[in-house]
Amino acid sequence: MPQDLQTLRKQKRMSINQLASRSGISIAKLIQYEKGAEEIPPADLGRLAKALYVDEWDINPRSTPPRAPTPREEQTAKPARSPRPEKKPKEKPKKPRPQSPPARDTQIAHMLTIAARFGINRAALEAEIGKPLDQLTQKEARHWNGHFMRRAAEEKPPRAIDRKRAYLPEGVDGFELAYLQEQQKGDVLLQFTLFDGQRFEGQVVGFSPYQITIREPGGDEITLNKLAIAYYRRAGGQT
Amino acid sequence: MSLGDELRYLRAFHGGGNLGEIEEEIGIEPGTLRYIEQRYRRMGEDDDVLAKIAAYYGVSLERLQYHRERYRKALSAFLHNSVESKRIATFDLRTGETLTGRVRWWDLGAFGLEPKDGGPLTVVQRHAVLDWPMADEGDEEDAQSDRE
Repeated sequence: MPQDLQTLRKQKRMSINQLASRSGISIAKLIQYEKGAEEIPPADLGRLAKALYVDEWDINPRSTPPRAPTPREEQTAKPARSPRPEKKPKEKPKKPRPQSPPARDTQIAHMLTIAARFGINRAALEAEIGKPLDQLTQKEARHWNGHFMRRAAEEKPPRAIDRKRAYLPEGVDGFELAYLQEQQKGDVLLQFTLFDGQRFEGQVVGFSPYQITIREPGGDEITLNKLAIAYYRRAGGQT
Repeated sequence: MSLGDELRYLRAFHGGGNLGEIEEEIGIEPGTLRYIEQRYRRMGEDDDVLAKIAAYYGVSLERLQYHRERYRKALSAFLHNSVESKRIATFDLRTGETLTGRVRWWDLGAFGLEPKDGGPLTVVQRHAVLDWPMADEGDEEDAQSDRE
């Protein structure tokens, strides 16, 4: 199931600064996304997914806004006030609810992208929704995007690691990523051999496409540049 | 190791200079080095340019020509075939070591090699591979019996 951006970021033990520098998205923007004040457009969704090492559909495009305090919490949080004299409630004319504005182009583009994963083209999508895409409101588009994201998460097609790889081009680093994640999760001791023959042993603390940080048995942390690494394997001949 | 990886390696050993400045110093078209370093297909066809680069880094032209033949896409193709055929493969590394085993997976930056001697899976960085000699007949028989 898709998770909120902040939840994912915290799971990856990443600060908002780190995520900003990895994704190239400003901190201010990330705060808006995390608060749910803004929906994450597809382009940023891709950048965030890459920076967090997750799939796009693992990220909820609109984060759940922070919970409003319950009346009880409000009572404990606010100092007691003397009761105000009761005012006669004014009868205000009920304003009609503002209609949701038309869906943004990015919302439609996102919907088409996700739908394409299921082989659904624009015409089929409009048939499923029951109206032309350009007549959708932002609210409806959000609803349908959420619907397709959930469907994508449930019917996640095998990607990268399971598929029969194309000959060329080499487009993903999913296998090494999966290996490192597994070793990190299992606190496995790895032995790294560098180009110059130096060897380091440690547990994976974190990694990026360019670096791997390990904690040596003595407790010291060291970051190895991947360009300097020749190979690595489980230490002590563990298979 | 591809020509691009070799040039990145040489550049790092020469203080990791700026590509544009090096190109200017060597006297070659702007973008030439960047192009060679980054591309996956066979690059560096012009021997005159290659000779200038070799002279700048103080290595022989033959050394760069050797790496030109071992371009990244060629290694990809070899790794792909190794996975498909389950054939034993041998890799000569920049460290001077030779690793032999079955390639279990490969991707953009590395490949997983199950050593022939039964040790743990070894994740080899692609840029560390100097050469990948073809398997011999005996290895093919091993693979055949595995498949059966």
